[in-house]
Amino acid sequence: MTTVIGVDVGGTFTDLVLHDAATGEIRVAKRPTTPAAPERGVLAAVDAAVPPDLLARCRHFVHGTTVGLNALLERRGATVGLITTAGFRDVLEIRRGDRDDPYDLFWTPPPPLVPRRLRLEVTERVAADGSVVRDLEPEDVLRAAEVFAAEGVDAVAIVLVNSYANAAHETRAAELLARAGFAGPVSLSHEVSGEYREYERTCTTVVDAFVRHRMGPYLHDLDRELRTRGFAGDLLVTRSGGGALTLAEAAARPFETILSGPVAGAAATARLAASLGPSLGIGTAVAADVGGTSFDTALVEDGRLPLLYQGEVVGLPLQSPWVDVRSVGAGGGSVAYADAGGLLRVGPRSAGADPGPACYGRGGTEPTVTDAALHLGMIPRGHISGGIELSEDAAARALAPLAGPTGIDGVDAVAVGVIRIAAAHMAQAVRGVTVERGVDPRGAAVVAFGGAGPVFGCLLADELDVDVVVVPPNAGNFSAVGLVQADVVRSAARTLVRPLDDAALPVIERLAETLFERLAQPEAVREVDLDLRHRGQEHTLTIPVRPAEDDVAAVSARFSEAYHRAFGHTLPDPLEVVTVRATSRVVLDDARPLVPAPPSGEGGAGRGTTRLWSFRRESFAEAPVVRREDLRGVAEGPLLVVEPTATTYVDAGFAVETHESGSLVITRKDRR
Amino acid sequence: MTVVRTRYAEVHPGLGDGADPVTTEIIRQGLNAAADQMKQSLIRTAFSPIIYEALDFAVAFYDADMCMLAQAPTLPAFMGTLGFCVREAVEGVGGPAALSPGDVILYNDPYGTGSHPQDAAMVVPIFHEDVLAGYSVIKAHWLDIGGKDPYCTDTIDVHQEGTIFPGVKLYDAGRLVSDVYRMILANSRMPEMVIGDINAMVAGARTGAEALGALVRRHGLGTFRRCVARMYAHGEALVRGWFERLPDGVYQASSVIDSDGVTGRPIPFGVEVVVDGSSVTVDLTGCPDQVGGPVNCPLPSTVAAVRIAVSFLAGAGEQPNEGHFRPLELLTRPGSLFHPLRPAPCFMYGIPSDHAIELIIRALAGAVPGSVPAASGGDINALVWWGNREATGEPWADGAPHPVGQGASRSADGASALMYISESATRFTPAEVWEARNPWRIERLALAEDSGGPGRHRGGLGLDLSFRVLEDQYLTSGLARTALAPWGLEGGLPGRPNRLTVEYPDGRAEEFSLKTRIFLPRGAVVHLRTGSGGGYGPPEERDPEAVRADLREGYITPGHARRHYPHAVGEPGITGPAVRRSPR
Repeated sequence: MTTVIGVDVGGTFTDLVLHDAATGEIRVAKRPTTPAAPERGVLAAVDAAVPPDLLARCRHFVHGTTVGLNALLERRGATVGLITTAGFRDVLEIRRGDRDDPYDLFWTPPPPLVPRRLRLEVTERVAADGSVVRDLEPEDVLRAAEVFAAEGVDAVAIVLVNSYANAAHETRAAELLARAGFAGPVSLSHEVSGEYREYERTCTTVVDAFVRHRMGPYLHDLDRELRTRGFAGDLLVTRSGGGALTLAEAAARPFETILSGPVAGAAATARLAASLGPSLGIGTAVAADVGGTSFDTALVEDGRLPLLYQGEVVGLPLQSPWVDVRSVGAGGGSVAYADAGGLLRVGPRSAGADPGPACYGRGGTEPTVTDAALHLGMIPRGHISGGIELSEDAAARALAPLAGPTGIDGVDAVAVGVIRIAAAHMAQAVRGVTVERGVDPRGAAVVAFGGAGPVFGCLLADELDVDVVVVPPNAGNFSAVGLVQADVVRSAARTLVRPLDDAALPVIERLAETLFERLAQPEAVREVDLDLRHRGQEHTLTIPVRPAEDDVAAVSARFSEAYHRAFGHTLPDPLEVVTVRATSRVVLDDARPLVPAPPSGEGGAGRGTTRLWSFRRESFAEAPVVRREDLRGVAEGPLLVVEPTATTYVDAGFAVETHESGSLVITRKDRR
Repeated sequence: MTVVRTRYAEVHPGLGDGADPVTTEIIRQGLNAAADQMKQSLIRTAFSPIIYEALDFAVAFYDADMCMLAQAPTLPAFMGTLGFCVREAVEGVGGPAALSPGDVILYNDPYGTGSHPQDAAMVVPIFHEDVLAGYSVIKAHWLDIGGKDPYCTDTIDVHQEGTIFPGVKLYDAGRLVSDVYRMILANSRMPEMVIGDINAMVAGARTGAEALGALVRRHGLGTFRRCVARMYAHGEALVRGWFERLPDGVYQASSVIDSDGVTGRPIPFGVEVVVDGSSVTVDLTGCPDQVGGPVNCPLPSTVAAVRIAVSFLAGAGEQPNEGHFRPLELLTRPGSLFHPLRPAPCFMYGIPSDHAIELIIRALAGAVPGSVPAASGGDINALVWWGNREATGEPWADGAPHPVGQGASRSADGASALMYISESATRFTPAEVWEARNPWRIERLALAEDSGGPGRHRGGLGLDLSFRVLEDQYLTSGLARTALAPWGLEGGLPGRPNRLTVEYPDGRAEEFSLKTRIFLPRGAVVHLRTGSGGGYGPPEERDPEAVRADLREGYITPGHARRHYPHAVGEPGITGPAVRRSPR
């Protein structure tokens, strides 16, 4: 086993988790995020929790960063120049012609990342089958280089039409650009994405060029700072598609890290489900991560993360693998309000960390989910959060004004309504990730974590008709745990539209081999996936294959099974290959256990009883408050289980016990 | 004169009064989420690019009274029109009493769907403990279901436009009715694609039915119905709240449709919008009689056009339900352009309906000056191609709408190259996907410089698309708004209209607007130049820095700048005069 540090930079806090292999000890630290220079927050967390001798023993430093995402959100990145095929200069601006809000007459797309004057055309043309229709005109590239030099372009993206089928012109254009004296980074679309759809590929390539400018220097600075503190291991960066990239790879392909924010929690859930699934008797798990501003959920089947191959961030499509985590604006800070028609609504706006919920007493006056939970006793009264004693009076004062315009009778009923609506939002997001994949959520277990996740576990169980809720150890910091369990993963893809027949498999095998050579991880476990569809369809399902061993019948059978599961029927139509995907995975340490709970003794808020709302009974009851480490045997709800980073709410009709792994397992005794 | 009044009154007055507001909100969200699941299922299993790429479909839930529970954000042109299909489809098979669990009804009569026969609806009744609880319905565009051509711009009656299924059971209590199924396939030029789409639609509608069934089970039918009644009241209150702010009055606008597609004669028409308190009445009784070509707009699509125009402006930003439509009333005259009677041809119903949307918006400019934009390119610029592949002889067909420039508004320049608002959820097909699929090469896909209507705020740019055909094939052009330039507002100048030119290998070139079956020999090049947006406010009031930025980025040329914005482009080194601020 090796000693690993994971540091995740979130919107509000930078979280650190350290697993010391020598002692089995777990350390956690939390420091405010420093958006202007995120490395300061990271280093502050390191300095607070990790003495130099321990840092020197760390083999891996796994970092989840939002540097790339922030560069896009703030539009602060490189000045990018784009070289494209003659006639296609405006692809980036024409987009797909659709609107983010189809009902908004005035909707306007965000300005393109590359202004029109820096989008330059070169004479050349490749056909869809890869044949060259017109040779590349070198003069055009040289002219572009002159414009880029005059305009102070930092980075260049080269995206030529149909380059997924033949990349020779892109490679040649890059050579010419270098020869013309352009010394900055160049992103080639066939290396970045390799998939068809010129707008999406252009966008991905431009994003790569845009954020690389920020990401490379940031990572190298952080690495240097860590080394001056004695760190001698490898700096790894989490990836949108799960796992982590080496520093060099992350600096070279930063777009692969942009959607990595919510992945760690899903990864931790997958690890938990893989290791505990058998003993708990659960095969399918749903991650339910409730934070301050959002609810993040993902479906984990057989311990595997669900992947998608095109994501979107701030309206920009990215052709990059990413873990299918859905976020909805229903978190502890989500604001409740009465709309113009007199209905009670919750979110997506959040009171955030500042001013925060009304009960924080920091100037917030709008009622939030946290205020409602406090009012109902779901968060223990007298609870200290971030050094602030939560104010029940402030919560009630904020909730009361909602009664009038909605016609709801009294503050208690308002609070109940806010929690029920928030839970319904969460349940819908869960239905989205499950039903769309043909999975009935009723057979799954809900894994509830994040500061407020365990508050909602029982409500989600009733909303979704689920019988088992698992609250992992260290529930409030569970996401960061996902970091210290990452593998090193690299992936590449190439569009290859052709029938799936006997001749296809050798072609796929050769293409996959080429992709693996580019990935250059000789020791790695190799995985090949195919995007397949029925001929005539557009949308694909991604199916794992072993090109050297599988025959067409085996691949087709696997596709049909997946298709039936997703859509409830099968079709006799022949299959078509669309994209070949190669993934190489180096498992850092197979033996890493689930991180156990931190040493007890810090204590939650006291013991005793509290006045707690039961949603099942629709009334208040005097219910026990139990410290997590004091929980023995099976306890029946209603009760609260408290620990330093989270509170678990157990309603009447549910029972809770501690599993040997340290997780709390809540079982639904009777169905509603 | 016979006048038909289309309005939606409350079906069960008072039913929602005691409903729990929290459960109402939970059910409202649940309905919208379930509609979205139905949409996702269809997109991911459909066979024709018109469904999965162009999203030319609508999915919705209706209650047992055929009031709209929810519609997923899809084609606004189908906004709320599925109620007509549900009613007609159910009547066609003998009414609600003739329905059983497992039924799937097929319906594509243009006078009930509002569109052409290719837009086929599947209606699935949803039962809760043997009681009819509602319907899930999907209407989607099939690539071909007979008709004189795969896409028709010159029909003279509805029977030339496709095979009509006037409400027939495709599944009877879960069992496929193979007679009907075989009839569908026998009447399509593209039976394989249609089979695929039928499967996708049935699967989607059943997914929806299950999701709605689960929602009803969770809350019980009684609670569900009470909460839905309250949800409608809530939607109605939202929209009335907006209308209340409009000054009462009668507002008018008029325009001209290019042609009926057969005689080539232009069709002038007008709209009248009456605002009275929190109610709005759109009066189309003054429109001309139904015409001999396929630009008649069946009543359901007229209703949709009015809803789009008004609800987009009302701006509630909500997924609509029946309640949103209650404050709206529509007056039409049977036998007229906007309420044609059988067998008037109506294949290109979208032309009058799209035109009416912008005209109603223009009329409302009189009520709420400053809150409506200038005209856009104004059309979806539908093109349809088909042929037989040279190598295999296999038939192929494809079709797509194309984006236009949007009108400028009081606060901003118009957006360039977005789909017309009636198809605002539709996406443009990538050139690389097209080339991988069809025998074409795209030669140019660009914003049209200088095309935006000049003004204090400039209209959005139109699109220039040129493609060379690599094999012989046919093209049908559904272009409208080719004669009338998109209007500006408040002193802004017009944009450019839509235009289609075919350049033949022998050097000859020809222009088309509404035209069926244009033969394109190998080597011909099709040039589509889509319309741009009109400008807003006088051009001389445009900020000189905005003019210079447009020049720098090449959205306008120096000649255009000198002609329309002389104040901004003085001699080099000399800045133009300061912006003259308008007094208003």
